[in-house]
Amino acid sequence: MADEHTTAGGPPVQEPLIETPSSEGRLTRFYDHIRREWQIYLMLLPTIIWFLVFLYKPMYGLQIAFKDYSIFRGVAGSPWVGFEHFETLFSNDQFLRAIGNTIKISALNLIFGFPAPIILALMFNEVLHASYKRTAQTIVYLPHFISSVIIAGIVITAFSPTAGIVNTVMGWFGLDPVYFLTQPQWFRPIFVGTGIWQEAGFGSIVFLAAIAGVNPSLYESAVVDGANRWQMMWKITIPSILPTILIMLIIRIGNVMEVSFELVILLYQPATYETADVVNTWIYRQGLQSGQYDLAAAGGLFNAFVAFVLVMTANTLSRRFSRTSLW
Amino acid sequence: MMKWNLYSRGDKFFAIVVSILIGMFTVATLYPFIYIAAVSFSSGFAAQAGRVVLTPIEATWEAYGYILTDPQFWISYRNTFIYTIGGTIMSMLFIIPGAYALSRPQLKGRRFFNLFIAFTMWFNAGLIPFFLNMRDLGLLDSMFGIILAFAVNAFNIILLRNFFEAIPQSFEEAARMDGANDFQVLWKVFVPLSKPAIATITLFCIVSRWNGFFWAMVLLQSEEKIPLQVFLRHTIANLSDDDEFAIVQTAAGFSAETVTAAIIVCSIIPVLIVYPFIQKYFEKGILLGGVKE
Amino acid sequence: MSGVNLSGIVKAYGAVQVVHGIDLDIAEKEFVVLVGPSGCGKSTTLRMIAGLEEITAGDLTIGDRRMNRVAPKDRDVAMVFQNYALYPHLNVADNMAFGLRIRKMPKAEIKTTISEVAEILGLTEYLDRRPADLSGGQRQRVAMGRAIVRHPKVFLFDEPLSNLDAKLRTQMRAEIKRLHNRLGVTSVYVTHDQVEAMTLADRIVVMNNGSIEQIGTPMELFNNPANTFVAGFLGSPPMNQLKGTLTESGAKVGETEIKLNGSVATQAGRDVIVGIRPEHVTLTAGEKTTALPISLDLVEPLGSEALLHGHFGKDSLVFKTETGGDINHLSGVGEVHVNASLVKLFDAETGHALSLGA
Repeated sequence: MADEHTTAGGPPVQEPLIETPSSEGRLTRFYDHIRREWQIYLMLLPTIIWFLVFLYKPMYGLQIAFKDYSIFRGVAGSPWVGFEHFETLFSNDQFLRAIGNTIKISALNLIFGFPAPIILALMFNEVLHASYKRTAQTIVYLPHFISSVIIAGIVITAFSPTAGIVNTVMGWFGLDPVYFLTQPQWFRPIFVGTGIWQEAGFGSIVFLAAIAGVNPSLYESAVVDGANRWQMMWKITIPSILPTILIMLIIRIGNVMEVSFELVILLYQPATYETADVVNTWIYRQGLQSGQYDLAAAGGLFNAFVAFVLVMTANTLSRRFSRTSLW
Repeated sequence: MMKWNLYSRGDKFFAIVVSILIGMFTVATLYPFIYIAAVSFSSGFAAQAGRVVLTPIEATWEAYGYILTDPQFWISYRNTFIYTIGGTIMSMLFIIPGAYALSRPQLKGRRFFNLFIAFTMWFNAGLIPFFLNMRDLGLLDSMFGIILAFAVNAFNIILLRNFFEAIPQSFEEAARMDGANDFQVLWKVFVPLSKPAIATITLFCIVSRWNGFFWAMVLLQSEEKIPLQVFLRHTIANLSDDDEFAIVQTAAGFSAETVTAAIIVCSIIPVLIVYPFIQKYFEKGILLGGVKE
Repeated sequence: MSGVNLSGIVKAYGAVQVVHGIDLDIAEKEFVVLVGPSGCGKSTTLRMIAGLEEITAGDLTIGDRRMNRVAPKDRDVAMVFQNYALYPHLNVADNMAFGLRIRKMPKAEIKTTISEVAEILGLTEYLDRRPADLSGGQRQRVAMGRAIVRHPKVFLFDEPLSNLDAKLRTQMRAEIKRLHNRLGVTSVYVTHDQVEAMTLADRIVVMNNGSIEQIGTPMELFNNPANTFVAGFLGSPPMNQLKGTLTESGAKVGETEIKLNGSVATQAGRDVIVGIRPEHVTLTAGEKTTALPISLDLVEPLGSEALLHGHFGKDSLVFKTETGGDINHLSGVGEVHVNASLVKLFDAETGHALSLGA
């Protein structure tokens, strides 16, 4: 044994019983490992390359936020300009307005959009008729799978001033037709309402699962104690799913900068920019439509940075609340 | 329904009220679809005048006739199938082996690789660098570019990795003692054991491909490459401010509204066909994501 | 040549050593059981033999070949897992054929092998079923079938019966024994159940805290446990252990002096542990017996036998006695009689067995 240890090159063995590391040298062991496990590294390789090319390389490209980017010189060749773009950004009324709009829309989403799936889940939990419940669930999950283009198409049709059902119904009550999508004050209610219509059902799945995880004997003992369903909902169900609610809330807060801008692009128009334009739509117009790549990238970097801080904070918070992190 | 008999009168009342509320929400969810379907089968005049509420008024196929005879509709429909099928297969080729490797305790640097992937969920370079990168790679206006560049995302890999990690180790060990290598363990043991998770991810891929719009709009210029969603957007945008169309259609019996509705119906139908098959998976699947380190 | 030899086998996870240098020589066709409490290193040892855990130090040979760095599939061993690890998506036949297909055995040969083994295990009519449609005992048999079809040099069993209920366990135990007699393949079997160990093993290896406490045939271990750990581990209920001191003529336990077989005079004054197996007492005095006064707490009837739970001083003791079909007479028991020739002595400090001079 002793001679083998000298070849291992490790520190001398003090305790005769504890013979680590083993008889073979570190290099041999590494070679052995690769020889035995090369297949898993081969399996991982494409994914790693994909992440490098499509997600990490753009991070390298983010440096144009600090450069005077020209298409011809490329990312590396363009001259540095320091924080010039950020100074421009923060003196740009449209960008500041976009930040404000993003936060306002997210806040509305939080206030009205967040409780909706919880209430829905609590209500589903009270429905006794199994097939009725099943059918209702099937239907309310569906809009989640519909593309934003179609959602936007439906909204545009339904809110159309002459043909839309909304104005038709308003007409029954003698109200004058309103061209909702051209009026800034209507954009946010329509946008947030559409979000609830599309996602509340699907969002309830998480809470329904949490409810399903509640120990049934809690309800049984409550029944024996004479509680009614309303009391059980408040005293058992809601406290039991509170950790889930908290985690989902934290995730939502972490995603404040992530307004689904695809739908904004599809629904807004110059007339409603003042309430509808969010950071990502501003970046889209500045960068991809007007070609001001560097300024738009600076806006994107700012957005990503804020989002990163928010998400990290959210994760730390959730770790504290639930002792399990989000990922 | 055993429970029902044990309910007090108050509880019965509560359950009934809740069931009615659920019913109302369900109808509210469903109504826009019914409305759109009704519009699509109505005459242009009826739709424009806002007379359609629940059922087709002056029922006609004209809007569908207009859409289904547009060659661009069929081209983009075909493209969407290509993007959906090609993209989903591409995703699986990356995700399944990648998640398997990341789930193996013997993978050295496993923590690093997991962080390497998870980090992209927290920090994202954003639209502009991504677009410029695609341009530098020569993947603008490329169908293959669309299929490849959106093949992988961290969430799906982590979801499947979590599922693989939950498979008892003895399955791998038994296969290994039987002489299986990693590819055989993955293909003959892990993949069959992970059908629900893989079905869920397939579903997520299919849905996101079918619905994919923004990047297709940004990256693709050629009409013969655009998917259905982009075509749909163009059509809706063009119809609503095309005065010439307004004059032509009056005679033809359809309108911007009915044509829009008809395209919407055409593009929802495949989703509706697949939906019942996938429903049982996504409820479980969404929880698998139940995200942990 | 399909013996297994372990020499100085060590397993460490980082700085934590869980198996401390095991030496074990398993002969061809032998059935060896590794037994011990959970966390004693028995499963780790088995998994090192299988190749599922790396061997930190020491040498493992199977047949004549050093196996330390050989992949599991090339060791020519087969393993039965605690949870069986049957592939739920494959039927019984395909589960058993899995390894053979991977090894590219010709189809016809696979078929005959499977049907032979299925015949042996009584699985012929279940070959088309999925594991989910089988009972616990049948699944267990499939798991064994999967090992048998490969005709390995060595069978490894990792607590294969622990997921079965008591009745099935007894039945499968006998079946494993019969199979071993029939196939004669070297077997290493891990369990925490001493009854399984006793009934199955040619030799038992008792492990504790990563080391071997004793190796021997079941009866050797039962009759001559090397230390208090083995004495306490094997036998049901386990051996009673009382603190005592040797005297000129016996062992003094409390106020009672227990007669011993053999001379201990030279060691008078030594602190010992006196071991008395529950079944090694009688209710009536005999030749060379000592009366041990006990205060009886409880009588547990088992049928033909009964367990007497009592106290001697502060120590709880359990004894086993014949009932003769009636337990009423046992409630008045106030003393048991210890047969001098069956008393075991252990050193109070080290726990090692003491041999009594003639």
